Amino acid sequence: MTAQEAKEALWLYRGPVDDADPKFQEALAFARRDPELTKWLHEQRTCFEAIRSKLRDIEPPHALAENIISHRMIPFRYDLNRILQLAAAIVISASITAVAMKLWERKRDRLGQGQETIVTGEVLDMSCYIAYNLSGPEHAKCAGDCIRSGLPVGIKSGDGKVYLLVGNFQAVNAELADYAAKIVTIKGKQSIRNGFTQLQVEEIRKL
Amino acid sequence: MSADPEFEQLVNHYYRDLYRFGFSLTGSEADACDLTQETFYVWARKGHQLRNPENVKTWLFTTLHREFLKIWRRRERFPHETINEAAEDLPHVPAACVERLDAQTLFGLLGELDDDYRAVLVLYYVEDLSYKEIADVLAVPLGTVQSRIARAKAQLLRRLTETQLTTEGNK
Repeated sequence: MTAQEAKEALWLYRGPVDDADPKFQEALAFARRDPELTKWLHEQRTCFEAIRSKLRDIEPPHALAENIISHRMIPFRYDLNRILQLAAAIVISASITAVAMKLWERKRDRLGQGQETIVTGEVLDMSCYIAYNLSGPEHAKCAGDCIRSGLPVGIKSGDGKVYLLVGNFQAVNAELADYAAKIVTIKGKQSIRNGFTQLQVEEIRKL
Repeated sequence: MSADPEFEQLVNHYYRDLYRFGFSLTGSEADACDLTQETFYVWARKGHQLRNPENVKTWLFTTLHREFLKIWRRRERFPHETINEAAEDLPHVPAACVERLDAQTLFGLLGELDDDYRAVLVLYYVEDLSYKEIADVLAVPLGTVQSRIARAKAQLLRRLTETQLTTEGNK
């Protein structure tokens, strides 16, 4: 390596930041043996530091960082894998819930078959109640007539649950017509199918 | 205030360097601010894709430079030179001459250089990036980076000398 080659190589040398670069190592070793080149390199480095320091004097406007931080837009990151995972999780959860509810309903229906039950509530004329939401003392006469005529009869318990009332394979309309819109207690066997509850009347008690 | 302390820390750590780089590229405070903001916006959208956190600085500078190129469009591509082509008479400028200049004048002189020379020179002088990292930021080969720095540095120092002579002549 000649002094000129070393000088050309060291023209880009900045100091410690370039020390690991093998490109400079041979030239630096050469410069250490050449006093004139050492002096030249020292001047280069001083000039470099002076320019660097001047360039670093430029400061951004005061509010720039604050603006960037406070006006930061938070974009939606489209991560297809995450979206697919989320969709799969929703579908699986919904399927499990649906199956569990079906099983629970079946179990509840099975447990409800033939179970001895006592219900206290108002005797309903089911036709008027379901079609027009009619019940209560002001509807007592109409309800009595409907029940007497053979239309379905039911009972609405204090918690709002409605049961269809039947006899043991025979109608109980005649016995219940006089209790239309009145509060009674009925003991019987409960049956549930597809969410619909029926009570096979065994005993009627007027309160 | 941002609800993301990591983002806030990142901004506070790098916005000055990015602004300076943007300023050297555009010569305008407003454009430098826009470029800096855009860079952090791109980070907010895509920064999570960066695999190696050690490359954050290079990533930010690369992004700012890309944004600059998108806006200012390259009018012509610089040929890929090698360092040997840049071997010229190396100007000598005493550090005292530089000390007498202010930063604005120095940036003014930088602004007189070609875009590609300006960018590479600011990364060389200010940002402590290795030559490989500078090459990554500017998306040019390593040899081209070294060649451009050598030429750009020579041009800048010549202009500094001329400015100094003019100033002294006016006294």
